[in-house]
Amino acid sequence: MATTTLHPAAATTYRSSLYEWLTTTDHKKIGILYIVNSLLFFFVGGILALVVRAELAAPGLQFLTDESIYNQAFTMHASVMLFLFVIPILAGFGNYAVPLMIGAPDMAFPRINAMSFWMLPLAGIILMSGFVLGGAAAAGWTSYPPLTEDRVLGSTGPGQDLWITGVILIGTSSILGAINFLVTIFKMRAPGMTLFRMPIMAWTVLVTSVLVLMATPVITSALIMLFIDRNLGGHFFDPSTGGNAVLYQNVFWFYSHPAVYVMVLPAMGIISEVLPVFSRKPLFGYKAFVFATAGIGALGFSVWAHHMFTTGAVFLPFFSLMTFLIAVPTGVKMFNWIFTLVRGQLTFSTPLLFALGFLSMFLIGGINGAFSASVPVDYAIHDTYWVVAHLHYVLFGGSAFGVFAGLYYWFPKMTGRMLDETLGKIQFVLMFIGFNLTFFPMHALGLQGMPRRIADYASGAGWNDLNMAATIGGFIIGISMLPFLWNVLVSLRSGAVAGDDPWEGNTLEWATTSPPPPYNFDRLPDIRSERPVFDQRHGHGAGGHK
Amino acid sequence: MSSSPRKRSASDVILIAILVISMAALVVGALANGFWDVMFPPEAVTRQGREIRSLYDIVFWIAVVIFVVVEGLIVYSVIRYWRKPGQDELPVQTHGHNLLEIVWTVVPTLIVGYLFVISFQTLTSIDAVAKSPDIHIRAVAQQFRWTYDYLAEDGVTVLFTEEVATADLGGGMHVPVGANVQLQLTSPDVIHAFYVPKFLFKRDVVPGITNVFDFTIDPVEAGQTFGGQCAELCGTGHRVMLLDVVAMTPDDYEAWKAAKIEQANATPPPKPSDGPVSATLELTAKDIKYDVKSLEVVADQPFAIHFTNADPASVPHDVDLRTGDGTVVSDEATIDGGTDTTYTFAGLAAGTYTYICSVHPFPDMTGTLTVK
Repeated sequence: MATTTLHPAAATTYRSSLYEWLTTTDHKKIGILYIVNSLLFFFVGGILALVVRAELAAPGLQFLTDESIYNQAFTMHASVMLFLFVIPILAGFGNYAVPLMIGAPDMAFPRINAMSFWMLPLAGIILMSGFVLGGAAAAGWTSYPPLTEDRVLGSTGPGQDLWITGVILIGTSSILGAINFLVTIFKMRAPGMTLFRMPIMAWTVLVTSVLVLMATPVITSALIMLFIDRNLGGHFFDPSTGGNAVLYQNVFWFYSHPAVYVMVLPAMGIISEVLPVFSRKPLFGYKAFVFATAGIGALGFSVWAHHMFTTGAVFLPFFSLMTFLIAVPTGVKMFNWIFTLVRGQLTFSTPLLFALGFLSMFLIGGINGAFSASVPVDYAIHDTYWVVAHLHYVLFGGSAFGVFAGLYYWFPKMTGRMLDETLGKIQFVLMFIGFNLTFFPMHALGLQGMPRRIADYASGAGWNDLNMAATIGGFIIGISMLPFLWNVLVSLRSGAVAGDDPWEGNTLEWATTSPPPPYNFDRLPDIRSERPVFDQRHGHGAGGHK
Repeated sequence: MSSSPRKRSASDVILIAILVISMAALVVGALANGFWDVMFPPEAVTRQGREIRSLYDIVFWIAVVIFVVVEGLIVYSVIRYWRKPGQDELPVQTHGHNLLEIVWTVVPTLIVGYLFVISFQTLTSIDAVAKSPDIHIRAVAQQFRWTYDYLAEDGVTVLFTEEVATADLGGGMHVPVGANVQLQLTSPDVIHAFYVPKFLFKRDVVPGITNVFDFTIDPVEAGQTFGGQCAELCGTGHRVMLLDVVAMTPDDYEAWKAAKIEQANATPPPKPSDGPVSATLELTAKDIKYDVKSLEVVADQPFAIHFTNADPASVPHDVDLRTGDGTVVSDEATIDGGTDTTYTFAGLAAGTYTYICSVHPFPDMTGTLTVK
């Protein structure tokens, strides 16, 4: 029986818990800090989304009389949701779960781990400070030059420079985190934990880290060039002085398309843990799933220009073919998840509901994405609300549902207490209905010709009803967060005590206490498969193999 | 150790019922309200657009079949494999199935391969650019308006320029039906996109690059006007960058074009005499905003506005006068940033007028002129 005997020396001086949280290098506490910080920004980004939806509810400029405020609202909504919610909260789950899952006492570099976290609130404050320093970034989260080159033309104030600074800082945090994950996964697995016995969550974090490491420096260089153009008289992207506007788009999307997989692969990892546990079956096709994950990572680097089909400056057939092809490994995953359910024994706890929400909504996000792979169809739908629908089915229907599956799944491990199931189900139902009411009509809006990023539209355009539906749905999503917040507050104080393993889990985090002690394990079970805790409970090979 | 729900409890049944009923209600309600129709693009009005529409229909139906099969599989599994009361034995621990993995790798590959091939065929057809098209037009997109240079057969010489982008103001890009129109797209400032929903088509207007595409409007569409707008975020006035394409019979088009050429070659009418003015008002534009939002003059007295454009050189502005219903009273020439000029106006009848920048016709560059 493998054991870990790492115990910290008992603290000799008393330290307040605030001091403890501010100075911790424990991966679990840092993971929780990531998650809490990301949720705070999720609510900020959500409020910005409601500002956008409220303005678009009906034709006419209702309460944002200054259009530049509208542009700031959608720009910051996207920037906050992508850079300060989705990416970091998934990194937070990785931080919390991966060392536990591979039987490690901590991340490989605990202090660097703390530093990568603390860069995030700082970057968030820098990003948001534009609102009080003369206007936040307002050129879209893509920040295309030459619009971002000239302050007057873009109506971008200091917010654009603050945005560049904040995003570079977040990128640096991601790079440090990726190195930390890679070293942890390659060097700190417990005895018996071979790569092909790692939980899928650890695999997705591994592939994600490779993507981050290869892609993030590229966007950093793009943003530095943009900063030089704006402030130091550079001409990288300004055609009027010999620069190339499309160059920025190539470099930007070379990061930002792989970044989509950074934003969704760990969520796939979460539901790949949740589905087997609540089906009482192993993940169907473990190795195929690993290869599909690696395949998505590799193909993800050859599809960036599908965001640029209408520029007239892209070799269309190559990027069209690769974009179609990336649907194949994604489809492999989808079928493996579904066949994990088949012949299982499903228990409809809240984590499973959110995981099923992920499956059914991400399916739509995959299918409506294939429309854009077809270049002629993309000519019709590019930069319309169709694309807004697509990206939200991937990032909200996919990633955010995955995030909530993870929150409900690991909350008992993190706090020792269960979240309330009834409130969880109320949240799920509201979120699921609100989500579809918001984003499904956007397909139709896009097909009927409504472009993205407009503050207003003519009342005769025929878009009124669909926009009103989307706005109502948006506010239902907003309301669905109330039972969640209430649930967390109440459960932290008086939730049912979770015990070590409330879900009958498969992976090593369920073999220690809830919450786990510093350095995680007093002793580890034998690791003979990707489900060591299942093996311990039922015996290796229990339940009949097939 | 808390017990997680293990049985098919009443609340689970209610939950699933709520979900199924609400989703069914959404679907039925949507279908009953003609929602099905809006899942398709509008009927295309160009040859190229019709080809895109045919392709869309194929992609759409394949998507519907895949959606129904896979979503159906999810819903079926959820309903069928519910853990029943008393089910304490583990289910069979299936770890995978190689043949299935191969099937669901190969079949999707074939489907996307087929989609790629038909997409590529359509692309080749709609992206074809004629060597000698019937009509050459150059659309110039700038913050925040479109202008159209009508070019001679060489595709370079400008015959005349249509300054007004939309039909409601008497402008729009006029083209004959049935003709192969070649549109060149240029921008002097930032990236815009030429987008007409009924063409099912858009193309970016990138500074430093001249994008070119061809379109042919179907003959049955003569007399129709097709609205469009900029589809690439270009600043605070992005949403006002509207445009119209006016389809004409070839005869009407020739008459319109002849009149335009004649108008362009005529000497401009002399300005009303610059007599003594009763007052000279000051107005400055900076950051694409007028500094003064309301002005006042005496009725029936000539007056002048000394206008300073304090924006960068690349940002032109002007000061036009319009009545409340939008009728243009006075159409003045634009000046570049960093310059100033004095516009003189004849006396106006008492009332309320709007002064507006024709380049940036949105609230920041609009003011009220009170005449009494």
